[in-house]
Amino acid sequence: MFRGFRSLFRALKARQDFEQGMTEELRSHIERHTDDLIRSGVSPEEAARQAQIEFGGINTVQEQCRESRWLHPFDELGRQTRYAARLLRKTPGFTITGLVTLAVCLGANLTIFAVIDSVLLRPLPFPHADRLVTMFNSYPKAGVERDGSSITNYYERRGRIPAFEGLALYRFATAIVGDAGATEREQIALVSPDFFPTLGVDLRMGRNFSEDETSVQTDRVVILTDRYWREQFAADTQVIGRQIRMNGVPDTVIGVLPPDFRFLSSQAKLYFPYSSRPEQRLPSERHSGGNSRQLIARLRPGATLSQAQAQIDAQNATLEADDPQAKMMADAGFRTVVAPLHADHVAEVRPTLLLLQAGSLTLLLIGAVNLINLLLIRANGRAKEMALRQALGASRLHVVSEVIVETTLLTLAGGALGLAAGAAGIRLLAVFGADRLPLGSQIAFNMRMAGVAFLGAAVLGLALALPVAWFALHGHLAAAIQSESRGGTASRAAQRLRHGFVVAQIALAFVLLAGAGLLGLSLERAMSVSPGFRPDHVLTGQISLPRSAYRNGAARLAFNAALLREVARQPGVSGVGVVNNVPLSGNSGKSSATVKGHVDRPGESARGNYSYGVDGDYFAAMGFSLREGRFLNAGDSRRTDRVCVVDEDFAHYYWPGESALGQRLFDGLAATDDSQAFTVVGVVGAVKQAGLTDDVAQGAVYYPYSSRSDDSLFVVVRTTLPPESLGLALQKVVRQIDPQLPISDVRSMDARIGDSLAAQRSPAVLAALFSLIAVLLTAVGTYGVLSYAVALRRGEIGVRMALGALPRQIRAQFLTLALRLLTAGLVLGVAGALLAGRAMRTLLFHVAPMHLPVLAGTAAAVALVSFLACLVPSHRAARISPMEGLSHRQ
Amino acid sequence: MPKSADLLPGTLDMLILKAISLEQLHGYGVLLRIKQISGGALEIPQGSLYPALYRLEHQGLIASEWGQSQNNRRAKYYTLTSIGRHRLREETAGWNRLAIAMTAALNTAPGEI
Repeated sequence: MFRGFRSLFRALKARQDFEQGMTEELRSHIERHTDDLIRSGVSPEEAARQAQIEFGGINTVQEQCRESRWLHPFDELGRQTRYAARLLRKTPGFTITGLVTLAVCLGANLTIFAVIDSVLLRPLPFPHADRLVTMFNSYPKAGVERDGSSITNYYERRGRIPAFEGLALYRFATAIVGDAGATEREQIALVSPDFFPTLGVDLRMGRNFSEDETSVQTDRVVILTDRYWREQFAADTQVIGRQIRMNGVPDTVIGVLPPDFRFLSSQAKLYFPYSSRPEQRLPSERHSGGNSRQLIARLRPGATLSQAQAQIDAQNATLEADDPQAKMMADAGFRTVVAPLHADHVAEVRPTLLLLQAGSLTLLLIGAVNLINLLLIRANGRAKEMALRQALGASRLHVVSEVIVETTLLTLAGGALGLAAGAAGIRLLAVFGADRLPLGSQIAFNMRMAGVAFLGAAVLGLALALPVAWFALHGHLAAAIQSESRGGTASRAAQRLRHGFVVAQIALAFVLLAGAGLLGLSLERAMSVSPGFRPDHVLTGQISLPRSAYRNGAARLAFNAALLREVARQPGVSGVGVVNNVPLSGNSGKSSATVKGHVDRPGESARGNYSYGVDGDYFAAMGFSLREGRFLNAGDSRRTDRVCVVDEDFAHYYWPGESALGQRLFDGLAATDDSQAFTVVGVVGAVKQAGLTDDVAQGAVYYPYSSRSDDSLFVVVRTTLPPESLGLALQKVVRQIDPQLPISDVRSMDARIGDSLAAQRSPAVLAALFSLIAVLLTAVGTYGVLSYAVALRRGEIGVRMALGALPRQIRAQFLTLALRLLTAGLVLGVAGALLAGRAMRTLLFHVAPMHLPVLAGTAAAVALVSFLACLVPSHRAARISPMEGLSHRQ
Repeated sequence: MPKSADLLPGTLDMLILKAISLEQLHGYGVLLRIKQISGGALEIPQGSLYPALYRLEHQGLIASEWGQSQNNRRAKYYTLTSIGRHRLREETAGWNRLAIAMTAALNTAPGEI
C-alpha cells in the first residue's frame, strides 16, 4: 500500500520535474535566439517578437514534446477524468442513485466474499496445507456416517501408510485449570507427539511431546499457546519448567507455540499429550472411535489422496481378516474415508456460503443492469452531442475512452463506498453468527478485500461502459443530428436494449425473491418442528468433573445427589435432572445397543443409536412424554437391578407391534452375560437429538447414570420462573458443593433450539435482505425506464391528445408496455427460479425446490412492485396536455 | 545567403545525431550547428527541434544533463549515447548508398542506357 503511494508520488514528482525542465529549456532557447538577433542589430522588442514567431506556438511545441515522451495518454486520461467528474457533478440525482446502488451491491458482495475468503479460499496456516488430510470411520448401514477414529487406528496406521509423511491423533476437551479457588474452565487439546510435526509447526520455545509422554503415568506435561503464555505468564521467557494445575494435578510446561498457530477452529489454549493405556490400543478397540477422536495426516510430496485411500482400504482389509467383529462391521458398511483437511472442515457450510455469494452476485447484476439503463438514458440525451462531435472528427477511440473513464470513475467511487459498506457488513455478520462458522473467527476486513473491491469496480466500470459505448458509436450520425426531437432511429435500438434489461432485472429479482422464499419457508418449517420435549422454562448448564477429584462412578453419583438436592431447594424449581448430553447440543454421540433375542434380518446390520446416562428427574425436567411404563429416577442409579428406558423409535424398530416393557438389551455390540442386561421399564417419546431438521429416526436408549457416568454432565432444571433468572443461583449451588467446579454454557433450552437453527436462519435472513434490495432496485429501474419512455414521446402524445385521444388510451398504452415487460420477466424468472431451486435443494427442509405457492407469491410480489413503479409514469403520460404536443416541437 | 533546401522526412533525426556527435550541445546550439555544417543550406524549423530531441532521448539515442554554458547560463546539454553512435553510423551508410544510387539514377543521360 505504502509502496504504491510512494511510486505514485515519485511518478508525480518526476512529471513535475519534466515540466519545469522543459519550460526552462524552451525559454532559454528563445532568450538565446533573442540575444543573437539583438547582437545582429535588431531592436530588443523586435528581436523578442521575431524569436517568438520563429519558434512557433510554445504550447504546441510543449504538447509535441510530451507526446514524444508518451506522456500524452496520461494527460488525456486526466482531462477526461476531470470532464467525467464535472458531468457526474452536474447530474447529482443520477450520480447519487448510481453510487448508492454500487455501494449496496458491492458492499453485499464484499461482505460475503470476506466470509468465503477466510472460510473456503485462504489455505490453512500451515506449510503445504494442501497436503493435510483427515480420516474418519464410517458405518453408513448402521446409520453412523461419521465416527472419528480410534486410538487403535492411530497406532495401527502410524508409519505403515506409505502415502503419509506424518500421522497424528488429537481430541478437543475442556479442563479445569488453575489453583484451588481461582480455577478456570479452559478449552484444551490432547495431541499425539507427531501432531505439530505433521502440521509443520515449530515451537517458539521449549520442546515437543515425546513418545514417553503418551502413557498415562508419565503424561504430566503441557505446551502453551502464545495467547495463554501472554495472558497467564506475562510472556515470561523462563516459563519452561514452571507448573500449571490441570484438574487439580500439576503439569510441567515444556514448550510454547508460535503466535500465529491456529488449528482449524479450535479455541484450545493448552496442549497436552494424548496419553492412553495399553488396553485402549488393542485391536478390540479398533472401532471405538467416537466423534471426539480425530486423525490428521500429511501426504508425502507427490502422493495423492486416492493412493492414501487405497492404502488405508488395503490395511483395513488385512486387519479385518482376523477380527471377530469383522462380519458385523462389514454389514454396517464399514469404511475409512480419507478427505482433505480444509475441505472436510468446511464441507457443511460450503453450499450455504456459495449460495449466498450467488445471491449477492445476482444482486450486483441487478444493480449493474439498473446502472446500464440509467447510463443509456443519459447517453441518449447526449446522442446528438456525440454524433456532432464524431462528425467533427472526434475519434472512435476518444468517444469510447470517454465513456469508459466516466463509468469507471463512477464504479471506483462506488467501490470505495462499497468497501466501507463491506467493512460495516462484516461487523453485522457477527450478529448472524458468522464468527461461529468453521474458521469464522478469521473473518476480517483486509487488503485482499480492498484488492477485490478495486478489481471488481474496475471490471464493472468496463462492463457498464460497453453498451453505452456501443450505442455511442452505432447511433446513426445523420439521423441523430437531423432529428429535432430526441427520439430518432438511433434510440429505437437503445430502447429495445433498455426494455431487454428491464426484463432481465425483473427475472433476476424474481429468482432472488423465490430463493429467499424457499429458504424462509424451510426456516419456518424447521421452527415449527416439535423437538419432542417441552423446551419452555428449562435452564441447562454444563459441568465438567475432573478425573482427579471424581475418580469413579460413586464419587460422581455423590456429586449428582448433592447437586439434585440443592437445586431442587431453589425457589421456583419444579424438577431437576442430570444427563451427559442434552439434545441439540451439537455433540450427541451414537453408540450401539444389542437387543436380547433379536435376530438380524437379512441385510440388517448393527445400528448406531443415541445413548444417554440420566440421573434425577431428567425426563420430567426436560418435558419428555411417557408412552409406556415409567421414567427413570434417581433411585435407579443407586440400586443394583439394571433398568433402562428406550424411545419410541427404538421400540418400534426392535419390537414392532409388541410392548417394549420387560424386554432386555445390552449396552454395546455384543450380547454378554445375562447379568449385564438392562430391562426396559419405560418408553418415552422420540426427541430431536442432533437438530430440528434431523429426519432420521435413529432411536435412543437412556441408562441410569451409574452405568454411563462421564466426566462432563449437563444439569437440567425446570422452573416456573423465567429460566435465565435461575442462572446465578445455579452457579452458586455448584460452587457451594465444590468451589473448584465452574458451570459453563448456561442457557435455556429455547435458546439452544434458537441457536441450533442458525444454519437455517442466517442464510434465510440474508437472502431476504438481498431480495428486498433487489426488488427495490428493480422498481427503481422499471420506473426510470418507463418514465424515460414517456418523456421521449411527450410530443407524440401531445399531438395524439390534440387529435382526440383519451387519457385512458394513453395510460393503457404504457401499462400494456409495462405488462409486456413484466410478463417476459416473470416467465424468465420462473425458469431461473426452478434452476436455482434445484441448485439449492440440499439447503431446503421439507420444501420442494419447485414450490408453487412460493412461485405464485413471488410472482405476485414482483408484479405488484413493478406495476406500482409503472403506474406513476403511465399516469403522467395520460396527463400530458395537447398544447405540449405543439410546443414540444421547438 | 545560399538557397535553403527543404528537409526530407526522416533526415532531421540524422542531422541532430550528427551535430551532437561532433560535440555536446544544448538545443539552440544544435540548431546553429546544423545550419553551420550544412553551409547554411539546411534550416530546421525551430518548433520541431525539441519534440525530436525528446523523442531521441526517449529512444535512448542521446542523453541529456544540465550544465553551465560559457556565458554562465544554465543549459541542458545533449550527448550521443553508444546506441546513438551506432545508429548514426548505420543511417549515414544508408544515406550514402541512397545518395549514390539517386545521383547515378538522376544523372543518367539518354545515350547511356
